[in-house]
Amino acid sequence: MSPDILNTLEVILNGLMAGVMYSLVALGFVLIFKASGIFNYAQGVMALFAALTLVGIQTGQVPFSHLINVMFGTNYHNWSNGINTVAAIILTMCVMVLLAWLVEKIVLRHLVNQEPIILFMATIGLAFFLEGLGDLMWGANIKVLDVGLPSGGSFWLEDVTKEWASEGSEYFGMYIDVLDVWAAGIAIILVVALTIFSQYTKTGRALRAVADDHQAALTVGISLRTIWVVVWSIAGFVALVAGIMWGSKSGIQFSLSLIALKALPVLILGGFTSIPGAIIGGLIIGVGEKLFEFSLGPLIGGATENWFAYVLALMFLMFRPQGLFGDKIIERV
Amino acid sequence: MNITQPPADVLLSLNNISLSFGGVKALTDISFDILKGEIRAIIGPNGAGKSSMLNVINGFYHPQQGEVWFDGSIRGPLKPYQIARQGIARTFQNIALFKGMSTLDNLMTGRITKMHANIFWQAIWKGKAEKEELEHRERVEHIIDFLEIQAIRKTPVGRLPYGMQKRVELGRALAAESKLLLLDEPMAGMNVEEKEDMCRFILDVHDQFGTTIALIEHDMGVVMDIADRVVVLDYGKKIGDGYPDEIRNNQNVIDAYLGVAHE
Repeated sequence: MSPDILNTLEVILNGLMAGVMYSLVALGFVLIFKASGIFNYAQGVMALFAALTLVGIQTGQVPFSHLINVMFGTNYHNWSNGINTVAAIILTMCVMVLLAWLVEKIVLRHLVNQEPIILFMATIGLAFFLEGLGDLMWGANIKVLDVGLPSGGSFWLEDVTKEWASEGSEYFGMYIDVLDVWAAGIAIILVVALTIFSQYTKTGRALRAVADDHQAALTVGISLRTIWVVVWSIAGFVALVAGIMWGSKSGIQFSLSLIALKALPVLILGGFTSIPGAIIGGLIIGVGEKLFEFSLGPLIGGATENWFAYVLALMFLMFRPQGLFGDKIIERV
Repeated sequence: MNITQPPADVLLSLNNISLSFGGVKALTDISFDILKGEIRAIIGPNGAGKSSMLNVINGFYHPQQGEVWFDGSIRGPLKPYQIARQGIARTFQNIALFKGMSTLDNLMTGRITKMHANIFWQAIWKGKAEKEELEHRERVEHIIDFLEIQAIRKTPVGRLPYGMQKRVELGRALAAESKLLLLDEPMAGMNVEEKEDMCRFILDVHDQFGTTIALIEHDMGVVMDIADRVVVLDYGKKIGDGYPDEIRNNQNVIDAYLGVAHE
Protein backbone atom coordinates (compact mmCIF):
# COMPACT_ATOMS: atom_id res chain seq x y z
CA MET A 1 0.00 0.00 0.00
CA SER A 2 1.19 3.45 -0.68
CA PRO A 3 2.22 5.65 2.22
CA ASP A 4 -0.69 7.95 1.46
CA ILE A 5 -3.25 5.26 2.15
CA LEU A 6 -1.38 4.20 5.26
CA ASN A 7 -1.22 7.80 6.47
CA THR A 8 -4.93 8.22 5.94
CA LEU A 9 -5.56 5.00 7.84
CA GLU A 10 -3.42 6.29 10.68
CA VAL A 11 -5.36 9.54 10.78
CA ILE A 12 -8.66 7.64 10.87
CA LEU A 13 -7.49 5.38 13.68
CA ASN A 14 -6.24 8.32 15.71
CA GLY A 15 -9.52 10.05 15.02
CA LEU A 16 -11.43 7.06 16.37
CA MET A 17 -9.32 7.09 19.52
CA ALA A 18 -9.82 10.82 20.04
CA GLY A 19 -13.51 10.30 19.42
CA VAL A 20 -13.71 7.72 22.17
CA MET A 21 -12.15 10.18 24.59
CA TYR A 22 -14.81 12.76 23.71
CA SER A 23 -17.50 10.11 24.12
CA LEU A 24 -16.39 9.33 27.64
CA VAL A 25 -17.18 12.89 28.64
CA ALA A 26 -20.43 12.99 26.67
CA LEU A 27 -21.60 9.81 28.41
CA GLY A 28 -21.86 11.56 31.77
CA PHE A 29 -24.05 14.27 30.25
CA VAL A 30 -26.34 11.71 28.64
CA LEU A 31 -26.89 9.82 31.88
CA ILE A 32 -27.98 12.85 33.85
CA PHE A 33 -30.04 14.34 31.04
CA LYS A 34 -31.80 11.04 30.43
CA ALA A 35 -32.90 10.61 34.00
CA SER A 36 -33.69 14.13 35.07
CA GLY A 37 -33.78 16.41 32.04
CA ILE A 38 -30.92 18.47 33.44
CA PHE A 39 -27.99 19.47 31.23
CA ASN A 40 -25.14 19.16 33.70
CA TYR A 41 -22.71 21.95 32.89
CA ALA A 42 -20.59 20.71 35.78
CA GLN A 43 -19.78 17.36 34.17
CA GLY A 44 -16.34 18.50 32.95
CA VAL A 45 -15.47 19.94 36.34
CA MET A 46 -16.67 16.69 37.96
CA ALA A 47 -14.12 14.84 35.81
CA LEU A 48 -11.45 17.29 36.93
CA PHE A 49 -12.47 17.00 40.58
CA ALA A 50 -12.53 13.23 40.42
CA ALA A 51 -9.07 13.12 38.87
CA LEU A 52 -7.71 15.60 41.45
CA THR A 53 -9.15 13.56 44.29
CA LEU A 54 -7.69 10.39 42.87
CA VAL A 55 -4.19 11.85 42.60
CA GLY A 56 -4.54 13.44 46.02
CA ILE A 57 -5.52 10.17 47.68
CA GLN A 58 -3.06 8.14 45.67
CA THR A 59 -0.08 10.33 46.64
CA GLY A 60 -1.23 10.65 50.21
CA GLN A 61 -1.82 14.39 50.08
CA VAL A 62 -3.54 16.14 52.94
CA PRO A 63 -6.72 17.79 51.63
CA PHE A 64 -6.99 21.55 52.21
CA SER A 65 -3.32 21.46 53.14
CA HIS A 66 -2.57 24.97 51.89
CA LEU A 67 -5.53 26.42 53.77
CA ILE A 68 -4.64 24.63 57.00
CA ASN A 69 -1.00 25.67 56.74
CA VAL A 70 -1.86 29.32 56.22
CA MET A 71 -4.42 29.38 59.01
CA PHE A 72 -2.51 27.45 61.64
CA GLY A 73 1.10 27.97 60.61
CA THR A 74 1.64 24.25 60.29
CA ASN A 75 3.48 22.53 57.51
CA TYR A 76 1.46 19.50 56.49
CA HIS A 77 1.71 18.22 52.98
CA ASN A 78 1.55 14.48 52.85
CA TRP A 79 0.30 12.05 55.40
CA SER A 80 1.64 9.01 53.62
CA ASN A 81 3.88 8.11 50.75
CA GLY A 82 1.14 6.79 48.63
CA ILE A 83 -1.73 4.36 48.57
CA ASN A 84 -2.35 1.42 46.33
CA THR A 85 -4.03 2.58 43.11
CA VAL A 86 -7.06 0.32 43.30
CA ALA A 87 -7.80 1.40 46.87
CA ALA A 88 -7.42 5.01 45.81
CA ILE A 89 -9.91 4.54 42.98
CA ILE A 90 -12.44 2.94 45.33
CA LEU A 91 -12.02 5.77 47.84
CA THR A 92 -12.42 8.37 45.10
CA MET A 93 -15.60 6.61 43.99
CA CYS A 94 -16.91 6.89 47.56
CA VAL A 95 -16.17 10.61 47.47
CA MET A 96 -18.10 10.94 44.20
CA VAL A 97 -21.10 9.10 45.68
CA LEU A 98 -20.97 11.43 48.66
CA LEU A 99 -20.83 14.36 46.25
CA ALA A 100 -23.88 13.02 44.41
CA TRP A 101 -25.78 12.73 47.66
CA LEU A 102 -24.82 16.28 48.69
CA VAL A 103 -25.78 17.70 45.28
CA GLU A 104 -29.20 16.05 45.56
CA LYS A 105 -29.72 17.25 49.11
CA ILE A 106 -28.48 20.81 48.74
CA VAL A 107 -29.25 21.69 45.12
CA LEU A 108 -31.70 19.37 43.37
CA ARG A 109 -34.20 18.86 46.15
CA HIS A 110 -35.04 22.53 46.34
CA LEU A 111 -35.40 22.97 42.61
CA VAL A 112 -37.90 20.24 41.84
CA ASN A 113 -40.45 21.26 39.18
CA GLN A 114 -38.47 24.31 38.12
CA GLU A 115 -37.82 25.15 34.49
CA PRO A 116 -34.94 23.28 32.82
CA ILE A 117 -33.08 26.54 32.34
CA ILE A 118 -33.06 27.15 36.09
CA LEU A 119 -31.64 23.70 36.71
CA PHE A 120 -29.00 24.43 34.07
CA MET A 121 -28.06 27.64 35.90
CA ALA A 122 -27.76 25.63 39.10
CA THR A 123 -25.27 23.29 37.44
CA ILE A 124 -23.24 26.28 36.24
CA GLY A 125 -23.06 27.39 39.87
CA LEU A 126 -22.08 23.87 40.83
CA ALA A 127 -19.29 23.93 38.27
CA PHE A 128 -17.78 27.11 39.72
CA PHE A 129 -18.12 25.72 43.23
CA LEU A 130 -16.46 22.40 42.40
CA GLU A 131 -13.61 24.13 40.60
CA GLY A 132 -12.92 26.31 43.61
CA LEU A 133 -13.27 23.38 45.98
CA GLY A 134 -10.85 21.31 43.91
CA ASP A 135 -8.33 24.15 43.99
CA LEU A 136 -8.72 24.64 47.73
CA MET A 137 -8.52 20.95 48.54
CA TRP A 138 -5.70 19.79 46.33
CA GLY A 139 -3.88 22.83 44.99
CA ALA A 140 -3.75 24.24 41.49
CA ASN A 141 -0.37 22.95 40.31
CA ILE A 142 -0.33 20.53 37.40
CA LYS A 143 -0.27 16.96 38.61
CA VAL A 144 0.88 13.82 36.95
CA LEU A 145 -1.59 10.97 36.99
CA ASP A 146 -0.22 7.48 36.82
CA VAL A 147 -2.62 4.60 37.29
CA GLY A 148 -0.38 2.11 35.63
CA LEU A 149 -1.69 2.43 32.11
CA PRO A 150 0.99 2.10 29.45
CA SER A 151 1.53 4.99 27.09
CA GLY A 152 3.60 6.03 24.13
CA GLY A 153 3.82 4.47 20.71
CA SER A 154 3.95 0.77 20.12
CA PHE A 155 7.11 -0.54 18.53
CA TRP A 156 5.34 -3.70 17.51
CA LEU A 157 2.72 -1.73 15.59
CA GLU A 158 5.29 0.42 13.92
CA ASP A 159 7.20 -2.61 12.72
CA VAL A 160 4.12 -4.41 11.45
CA THR A 161 2.80 -1.44 9.52
CA LYS A 162 6.18 -0.71 8.07
CA GLU A 163 5.87 -4.04 6.25
CA TRP A 164 2.65 -2.98 4.59
CA ALA A 165 4.19 -0.05 2.79
CA SER A 166 5.04 -0.64 -0.85
CA GLU A 167 8.61 -1.27 -1.85
CA GLY A 168 10.99 1.62 -1.95
CA SER A 169 8.81 4.15 -0.18
CA GLU A 170 10.05 5.96 2.86
CA TYR A 171 7.60 4.91 5.55
CA PHE A 172 8.35 4.54 9.23
CA GLY A 173 5.28 2.75 10.52
CA MET A 174 2.11 3.96 12.22
CA TYR A 175 2.20 5.82 15.48
CA ILE A 176 -0.81 5.06 17.66
CA ASP A 177 -0.64 5.85 21.33
CA VAL A 178 -1.19 2.70 23.40
CA LEU A 179 -2.94 4.77 26.05
CA ASP A 180 -5.60 5.68 23.53
CA VAL A 181 -6.15 2.02 22.74
CA TRP A 182 -6.61 1.26 26.43
CA ALA A 183 -9.00 4.19 26.77
CA ALA A 184 -11.04 2.91 23.85
CA GLY A 185 -11.24 -0.58 25.34
CA ILE A 186 -12.28 0.71 28.75
CA ALA A 187 -14.87 3.04 27.24
CA ILE A 188 -16.44 0.21 25.26
CA ILE A 189 -16.65 -1.99 28.35
CA LEU A 190 -18.18 0.90 30.29
CA VAL A 191 -20.82 1.56 27.64
CA VAL A 192 -21.77 -2.09 27.28
CA ALA A 193 -22.03 -2.43 31.06
CA LEU A 194 -24.18 0.69 31.36
CA THR A 195 -26.48 -0.40 28.55
CA ILE A 196 -26.98 -3.85 30.06
CA PHE A 197 -27.56 -2.29 33.47
CA SER A 198 -30.15 0.08 32.08
CA GLN A 199 -32.03 -2.61 30.14
CA TYR A 200 -32.09 -5.59 32.45
CA THR A 201 -31.87 -4.60 36.09
CA LYS A 202 -34.51 -3.26 38.43
CA THR A 203 -32.62 -0.01 39.10
CA GLY A 204 -31.99 0.42 35.39
CA ARG A 205 -35.69 0.06 34.74
CA ALA A 206 -36.44 2.59 37.45
CA LEU A 207 -33.94 5.01 35.84
CA ARG A 208 -35.68 4.67 32.48
CA ALA A 209 -39.07 5.10 34.13
CA VAL A 210 -38.00 8.31 35.87
CA ALA A 211 -36.53 9.58 32.59
CA ASP A 212 -39.88 8.96 30.89
CA ASP A 213 -42.56 10.28 33.24
CA HIS A 214 -42.03 11.58 36.77
CA GLN A 215 -45.65 11.38 37.84
CA ALA A 216 -46.10 7.82 36.67
CA ALA A 217 -42.86 6.87 38.41
CA LEU A 218 -44.16 8.29 41.69
CA THR A 219 -47.40 6.36 41.22
CA VAL A 220 -45.63 3.00 41.01
CA GLY A 221 -43.64 3.74 44.11
CA ILE A 222 -40.26 4.89 42.76
CA SER A 223 -38.52 7.42 44.97
CA LEU A 224 -37.29 10.19 42.67
CA ARG A 225 -34.65 11.37 45.13
CA THR A 226 -33.00 7.97 45.43
CA ILE A 227 -32.91 7.62 41.66
CA TRP A 228 -31.28 11.05 41.29
CA VAL A 229 -28.55 10.13 43.75
CA VAL A 230 -27.97 6.90 41.79
CA VAL A 231 -27.80 8.78 38.48
CA TRP A 232 -25.39 11.42 39.73
CA SER A 233 -23.23 8.70 41.30
CA ILE A 234 -23.02 6.83 38.00
CA ALA A 235 -22.26 10.11 36.23
CA GLY A 236 -19.58 10.68 38.86
CA PHE A 237 -18.11 7.27 38.07
CA VAL A 238 -18.09 8.05 34.36
CA ALA A 239 -16.49 11.41 35.16
CA LEU A 240 -13.81 9.59 37.14
CA VAL A 241 -13.01 7.29 34.22
CA ALA A 242 -12.93 10.24 31.82
CA GLY A 243 -10.74 12.17 34.24
CA ILE A 244 -8.32 9.25 34.52
CA MET A 245 -8.04 8.88 30.75
CA TRP A 246 -7.59 12.55 29.96
CA GLY A 247 -5.38 13.07 33.01
CA SER A 248 -3.09 10.20 32.06
CA LYS A 249 -2.77 11.70 28.60
CA SER A 250 -2.03 15.32 29.39
CA GLY A 251 -1.68 15.69 33.14
CA ILE A 252 -4.27 17.10 35.49
CA GLN A 253 -4.65 20.80 34.96
CA PHE A 254 -7.58 23.06 35.43
CA SER A 255 -8.17 23.38 31.70
CA LEU A 256 -9.39 19.79 31.87
CA SER A 257 -12.84 21.13 32.63
CA LEU A 258 -12.92 22.63 29.14
CA ILE A 259 -13.24 19.20 27.56
CA ALA A 260 -16.89 19.50 28.53
CA LEU A 261 -17.21 22.05 25.73
CA LYS A 262 -15.96 19.49 23.25
CA ALA A 263 -18.69 17.10 24.42
CA LEU A 264 -21.42 19.44 23.21
CA PRO A 265 -21.04 18.69 19.47
CA VAL A 266 -20.90 15.00 20.39
CA LEU A 267 -24.22 15.28 22.18
CA ILE A 268 -25.86 17.20 19.36
CA LEU A 269 -24.78 14.56 16.87
CA GLY A 270 -25.60 11.54 18.93
CA GLY A 271 -28.72 12.76 20.66
CA PHE A 272 -28.90 13.95 24.25
CA THR A 273 -30.62 10.85 25.54
CA SER A 274 -28.80 8.00 23.87
CA ILE A 275 -25.86 6.14 25.36
CA PRO A 276 -24.80 4.46 22.09
CA GLY A 277 -25.39 7.83 20.45
CA ALA A 278 -22.71 9.40 22.65
CA ILE A 279 -20.22 6.84 21.41
CA ILE A 280 -21.15 7.04 17.73
CA GLY A 281 -21.31 10.82 17.88
CA GLY A 282 -17.89 10.95 19.49
CA LEU A 283 -16.39 8.67 16.87
CA ILE A 284 -17.86 10.71 14.03
CA ILE A 285 -16.56 13.95 15.50
CA GLY A 286 -13.14 12.48 16.19
CA VAL A 287 -12.66 10.97 12.75
CA GLY A 288 -14.26 13.90 10.97
CA GLU A 289 -12.07 16.41 12.75
CA LYS A 290 -8.81 14.65 12.04
CA LEU A 291 -9.65 13.69 8.47
CA PHE A 292 -10.78 17.21 7.62
CA GLU A 293 -7.62 18.71 9.07
CA PHE A 294 -5.50 16.16 7.25
CA SER A 295 -7.16 16.41 3.85
CA LEU A 296 -8.72 19.82 3.36
CA GLY A 297 -7.11 21.70 6.23
CA PRO A 298 -3.99 22.85 4.35
CA LEU A 299 -6.19 24.33 1.62
CA ILE A 300 -7.85 26.74 4.02
CA GLY A 301 -4.90 27.62 6.16
CA GLY A 302 -5.00 24.80 8.69
CA ALA A 303 -6.08 24.89 12.34
CA THR A 304 -9.51 23.55 11.45
CA GLU A 305 -9.61 21.10 14.35
CA ASN A 306 -10.80 23.83 16.65
CA TRP A 307 -14.00 24.63 14.84
CA PHE A 308 -14.87 21.66 12.67
CA ALA A 309 -16.85 19.85 15.37
CA TYR A 310 -19.02 22.90 16.01
CA VAL A 311 -19.76 23.50 12.34
CA LEU A 312 -20.79 19.88 12.00
CA ALA A 313 -23.03 20.23 15.04
CA LEU A 314 -24.61 23.36 13.58
CA MET A 315 -25.46 21.50 10.40
CA PHE A 316 -27.03 18.69 12.37
CA LEU A 317 -29.09 21.19 14.32
CA MET A 318 -30.50 22.49 11.08
CA PHE A 319 -31.41 19.17 9.54
CA ARG A 320 -31.78 16.64 12.35
CA PRO A 321 -31.98 18.36 15.73
CA GLN A 322 -32.67 15.25 17.77
CA GLY A 323 -29.33 13.82 16.66
CA LEU A 324 -28.76 10.41 15.16
CA PHE A 325 -30.14 8.39 18.06
CA GLY A 326 -32.05 10.87 20.17
CA ASP A 327 -35.60 10.26 21.30
CA LYS A 328 -38.07 10.72 18.54
CA ILE A 329 -41.38 11.86 19.89
CA ILE A 330 -43.71 8.89 19.58
CA GLU A 331 -47.21 10.17 19.65
CA ARG A 332 -50.49 8.89 18.49
CA VAL A 333 -52.68 11.87 17.89
CA MET B 1 -64.11 16.37 63.73
CA ASN B 2 -64.22 12.62 63.81
CA ILE B 3 -61.05 11.29 65.41
CA THR B 4 -62.13 7.83 66.38
CA GLN B 5 -60.68 4.95 64.45
CA PRO B 6 -63.01 3.54 61.79
CA PRO B 7 -64.28 -0.07 62.19
CA ALA B 8 -62.07 -2.96 61.13
CA ASP B 9 -63.65 -3.73 57.81
CA VAL B 10 -63.10 -0.21 56.46
CA LEU B 11 -60.05 0.04 54.19
CA LEU B 12 -60.11 3.76 53.45
CA SER B 13 -61.90 6.46 55.37
CA LEU B 14 -62.02 10.11 54.32
CA ASN B 15 -63.18 12.54 56.98
CA ASN B 16 -64.17 16.13 56.27
CA ILE B 17 -61.75 16.55 53.38
CA SER B 18 -61.54 20.09 52.04
CA LEU B 19 -59.21 20.98 49.17
CA SER B 20 -58.82 24.33 47.47
CA PHE B 21 -56.44 25.85 44.94
CA GLY B 22 -56.24 29.50 45.81
CA GLY B 23 -59.81 30.69 45.59
CA VAL B 24 -61.14 27.63 43.80
CA LYS B 25 -62.75 25.13 46.17
CA ALA B 26 -62.22 21.74 44.58
CA LEU B 27 -63.63 19.70 47.48
CA THR B 28 -65.72 20.88 50.41
CA ASP B 29 -66.12 18.81 53.56
CA ILE B 30 -66.29 15.39 51.92
CA SER B 31 -66.56 12.26 54.04
CA PHE B 32 -67.07 8.70 52.90
CA ASP B 33 -65.50 5.32 53.37
CA ILE B 34 -64.57 2.30 51.31
CA LEU B 35 -65.00 -1.15 52.81
CA LYS B 36 -62.50 -3.94 52.27
CA GLY B 37 -63.25 -5.92 49.15
CA GLU B 38 -65.95 -3.68 47.74
CA ILE B 39 -66.21 -1.88 44.44
CA ARG B 40 -66.98 1.78 45.16
CA ALA B 41 -68.00 4.04 42.30
CA ILE B 42 -67.46 7.81 42.40
CA ILE B 43 -69.70 9.60 39.96
CA GLY B 44 -70.72 13.12 39.17
CA PRO B 45 -70.71 15.75 36.42
CA ASN B 46 -67.45 17.02 34.95
CA GLY B 47 -65.61 19.35 37.29
CA ALA B 48 -67.25 17.86 40.38
CA GLY B 49 -63.88 17.04 41.92
CA LYS B 50 -63.72 13.28 41.30
CA SER B 51 -60.14 13.20 39.98
CA SER B 52 -59.10 15.63 42.73
CA MET B 53 -60.58 13.17 45.20
CA LEU B 54 -58.44 10.37 43.78
CA ASN B 55 -55.40 12.65 43.85
CA VAL B 56 -55.99 13.24 47.55
CA ILE B 57 -56.25 9.50 48.17
CA ASN B 58 -53.11 8.98 46.10
CA GLY B 59 -51.08 11.70 47.77
CA PHE B 60 -50.61 14.05 44.82
CA TYR B 61 -52.72 16.71 46.54
CA HIS B 62 -52.70 17.44 50.25
CA PRO B 63 -56.07 18.58 51.58
CA GLN B 64 -56.08 21.76 53.62
CA GLN B 65 -58.51 20.17 56.05
CA GLY B 66 -59.62 16.68 56.94
CA GLU B 67 -57.93 13.37 57.48
CA VAL B 68 -57.36 10.17 55.59
CA TRP B 69 -57.40 6.84 57.36
CA PHE B 70 -55.90 3.97 55.40
CA ASP B 71 -55.93 0.39 56.65
CA GLY B 72 -56.63 1.29 60.23
CA SER B 73 -54.17 4.12 60.76
CA ILE B 74 -54.34 7.82 60.11
CA ARG B 75 -52.11 9.06 57.33
CA GLY B 76 -49.35 11.52 58.08
CA PRO B 77 -47.74 13.84 55.50
CA LEU B 78 -46.43 11.31 52.97
CA LYS B 79 -45.03 11.57 49.46
CA PRO B 80 -46.90 9.87 46.60
CA TYR B 81 -44.29 7.16 46.26
CA GLN B 82 -44.53 6.33 49.96
CA ILE B 83 -48.30 6.07 49.66
CA ALA B 84 -47.89 3.81 46.65
CA ARG B 85 -45.66 1.56 48.73
CA GLN B 86 -48.33 1.39 51.42
CA GLY B 87 -50.54 -0.39 48.91
CA ILE B 88 -52.44 1.99 46.67
CA ALA B 89 -52.23 1.62 42.89
CA ARG B 90 -53.79 3.93 40.33
CA THR B 91 -54.68 4.50 36.71
CA PHE B 92 -55.07 7.94 35.17
CA GLN B 93 -57.70 9.54 33.01
CA ASN B 94 -55.12 10.71 30.45
CA ILE B 95 -52.86 7.67 30.72
CA ALA B 96 -49.56 8.02 32.57
CA LEU B 97 -47.59 5.15 31.11
CA PHE B 98 -43.86 5.12 30.35
CA LYS B 99 -44.31 5.80 26.66
CA GLY B 100 -40.78 4.87 25.58
CA MET B 101 -40.77 1.48 27.33
CA SER B 102 -42.38 -1.77 26.22
CA THR B 103 -45.58 -3.21 27.71
CA LEU B 104 -43.57 -5.81 29.60
CA ASP B 105 -41.25 -3.19 31.07
CA ASN B 106 -44.20 -1.03 32.10
CA LEU B 107 -45.80 -3.94 33.92
CA MET B 108 -42.50 -4.80 35.58
CA THR B 109 -42.23 -1.25 36.94
CA GLY B 110 -45.54 -1.95 38.64
CA ARG B 111 -43.73 -4.53 40.74
CA ILE B 112 -40.76 -2.35 41.56
CA THR B 113 -41.77 -1.82 45.19
CA LYS B 114 -41.64 -5.58 45.69
CA MET B 115 -38.09 -5.98 44.40
CA HIS B 116 -35.50 -5.75 47.11
CA ALA B 117 -32.16 -6.88 45.70
CA ASN B 118 -29.80 -3.98 46.15
CA ILE B 119 -27.47 -2.54 43.56
CA PHE B 120 -24.53 -4.87 44.18
CA TRP B 121 -26.59 -7.99 43.64
CA GLN B 122 -27.94 -6.42 40.47
CA ALA B 123 -24.43 -5.69 39.23
CA ILE B 124 -23.37 -9.30 39.67
CA TRP B 125 -26.70 -10.56 38.35
CA LYS B 126 -26.43 -14.16 39.46
CA GLY B 127 -28.13 -14.91 42.72
CA LYS B 128 -30.64 -12.76 44.49
CA ALA B 129 -31.38 -10.27 41.71
CA GLU B 130 -31.88 -12.89 39.03
CA LYS B 131 -34.15 -15.02 41.20
CA GLU B 132 -36.29 -12.04 42.10
CA GLU B 133 -36.51 -10.90 38.50
CA LEU B 134 -37.70 -14.32 37.37
CA GLU B 135 -40.34 -14.54 40.11
CA HIS B 136 -41.76 -11.16 39.27
CA ARG B 137 -41.61 -11.88 35.57
CA GLU B 138 -43.78 -14.93 36.15
CA ARG B 139 -46.40 -12.88 37.98
CA VAL B 140 -46.37 -10.27 35.23
CA GLU B 141 -46.82 -12.92 32.53
CA HIS B 142 -49.82 -14.17 34.48
CA ILE B 143 -51.32 -10.68 34.32
CA ILE B 144 -50.49 -10.38 30.61
CA ASP B 145 -52.39 -13.62 29.97
CA PHE B 146 -55.27 -12.42 32.12
CA LEU B 147 -55.60 -9.17 30.19
CA GLU B 148 -55.00 -10.85 26.83
CA ILE B 149 -52.21 -8.51 25.77
CA GLN B 150 -49.62 -11.12 24.81
CA ALA B 151 -49.37 -9.82 21.25
CA ILE B 152 -48.11 -6.41 22.34
CA ARG B 153 -45.67 -7.45 25.04
CA LYS B 154 -42.62 -5.94 23.42
CA THR B 155 -44.21 -2.96 21.69
CA PRO B 156 -43.24 0.50 23.00
CA VAL B 157 -46.39 1.65 24.67
CA GLY B 158 -46.44 5.03 22.94
CA ARG B 159 -47.30 3.31 19.68
CA LEU B 160 -50.33 1.42 20.93
CA PRO B 161 -53.92 2.51 20.26
CA TYR B 162 -55.72 4.27 23.09
CA GLY B 163 -57.81 1.30 24.22
CA MET B 164 -54.72 -0.91 24.45
CA GLN B 165 -52.85 1.72 26.43
CA LYS B 166 -55.69 1.82 28.94
CA ARG B 167 -55.50 -1.93 29.27
CA VAL B 168 -51.72 -1.83 29.80
CA GLU B 169 -52.18 0.84 32.46
CA LEU B 170 -54.68 -1.40 34.22
CA GLY B 171 -52.10 -4.19 33.98
CA ARG B 172 -49.46 -2.04 35.59
CA ALA B 173 -51.81 -1.14 38.43
CA LEU B 174 -52.69 -4.83 38.87
CA ALA B 175 -49.02 -5.82 38.87
CA ALA B 176 -48.54 -3.85 42.08
CA GLU B 177 -50.90 -6.30 43.89
CA SER B 178 -52.14 -3.41 45.98
CA LYS B 179 -54.73 -3.28 48.72
CA LEU B 180 -56.63 -0.48 47.00
CA LEU B 181 -56.97 0.06 43.28
CA LEU B 182 -57.97 3.52 42.04
CA LEU B 183 -59.34 3.58 38.49
CA ASP B 184 -59.92 6.98 36.88
CA GLU B 185 -62.38 6.58 33.99
CA PRO B 186 -60.99 3.25 32.81
CA MET B 187 -63.55 3.00 30.05
CA ALA B 188 -63.34 6.47 28.57
CA GLY B 189 -63.29 6.44 24.79
CA MET B 190 -64.20 2.79 24.33
CA ASN B 191 -66.97 1.18 22.34
CA VAL B 192 -69.50 -1.23 23.82
CA GLU B 193 -67.42 -4.34 23.20
CA GLU B 194 -64.27 -2.85 24.72
CA LYS B 195 -66.28 -1.63 27.71
CA GLU B 196 -67.63 -5.11 28.28
CA ASP B 197 -64.07 -6.46 28.15
CA MET B 198 -62.88 -3.92 30.72
CA CYS B 199 -65.86 -4.65 32.97
CA ARG B 200 -65.04 -8.31 32.78
CA PHE B 201 -61.40 -7.65 33.71
CA ILE B 202 -62.34 -5.46 36.64
CA LEU B 203 -64.83 -8.00 37.97
CA ASP B 204 -62.36 -10.86 37.46
CA VAL B 205 -59.68 -8.92 39.34
CA HIS B 206 -62.13 -8.28 42.12
CA ASP B 207 -63.16 -11.93 42.31
CA GLN B 208 -59.72 -13.48 41.90
CA PHE B 209 -57.55 -11.16 43.96
CA GLY B 210 -60.13 -9.70 46.33
CA THR B 211 -58.83 -6.19 45.56
CA THR B 212 -60.77 -3.21 46.85
CA ILE B 213 -61.57 -0.94 43.93
CA ALA B 214 -62.53 2.74 43.75
CA LEU B 215 -63.80 3.62 40.30
CA ILE B 216 -64.60 6.93 38.60
CA GLU B 217 -66.94 6.32 35.72
CA HIS B 218 -69.47 8.19 33.58
CA ASP B 219 -71.29 5.26 32.05
CA MET B 220 -74.26 4.72 34.37
CA GLY B 221 -74.96 1.28 32.98
CA VAL B 222 -71.48 0.13 34.02
CA VAL B 223 -71.78 1.79 37.43
CA MET B 224 -75.15 0.26 38.22
CA ASP B 225 -73.92 -3.16 37.08
CA ILE B 226 -70.61 -3.54 38.85
CA ALA B 227 -70.54 -1.12 41.78
CA ASP B 228 -71.38 -2.27 45.30
CA ARG B 229 -71.86 1.27 46.57
CA VAL B 230 -71.81 4.67 44.92
CA VAL B 231 -70.79 8.15 46.08
CA VAL B 232 -71.99 11.16 44.07
CA LEU B 233 -70.11 14.47 43.90
CA ASP B 234 -71.28 17.78 42.47
CA TYR B 235 -69.32 21.08 42.57
CA GLY B 236 -66.98 19.59 45.19
CA LYS B 237 -69.74 18.54 47.56
CA LYS B 238 -71.15 15.10 48.30
CA ILE B 239 -74.77 14.86 47.24
CA GLY B 240 -75.35 11.14 47.50
CA ASP B 241 -73.86 8.07 49.12
CA GLY B 242 -75.33 4.58 49.14
CA TYR B 243 -76.35 1.56 47.11
CA PRO B 244 -76.88 1.93 43.33
CA ASP B 245 -80.67 1.61 43.58
CA GLU B 246 -80.91 4.29 46.27
CA ILE B 247 -78.75 6.63 44.18
CA ARG B 248 -80.81 6.02 41.06
CA ASN B 249 -83.90 7.27 42.85
CA ASN B 250 -82.28 10.12 44.78
CA GLN B 251 -83.84 13.40 43.64
CA ASN B 252 -80.69 15.48 44.19
CA VAL B 253 -78.68 13.13 42.06
CA ILE B 254 -81.29 13.08 39.34
CA ASP B 255 -81.38 16.88 39.22
CA ALA B 256 -77.63 17.33 39.20
CA TYR B 257 -76.48 14.50 37.01
CA LEU B 258 -78.72 11.68 35.89
CA GLY B 259 -81.57 13.63 34.43
CA VAL B 260 -85.05 12.30 33.93
CA ALA B 261 -86.12 9.86 31.20
CA HIS B 262 -88.66 11.51 28.98
CA GLU B 263 -91.70 9.26 28.56
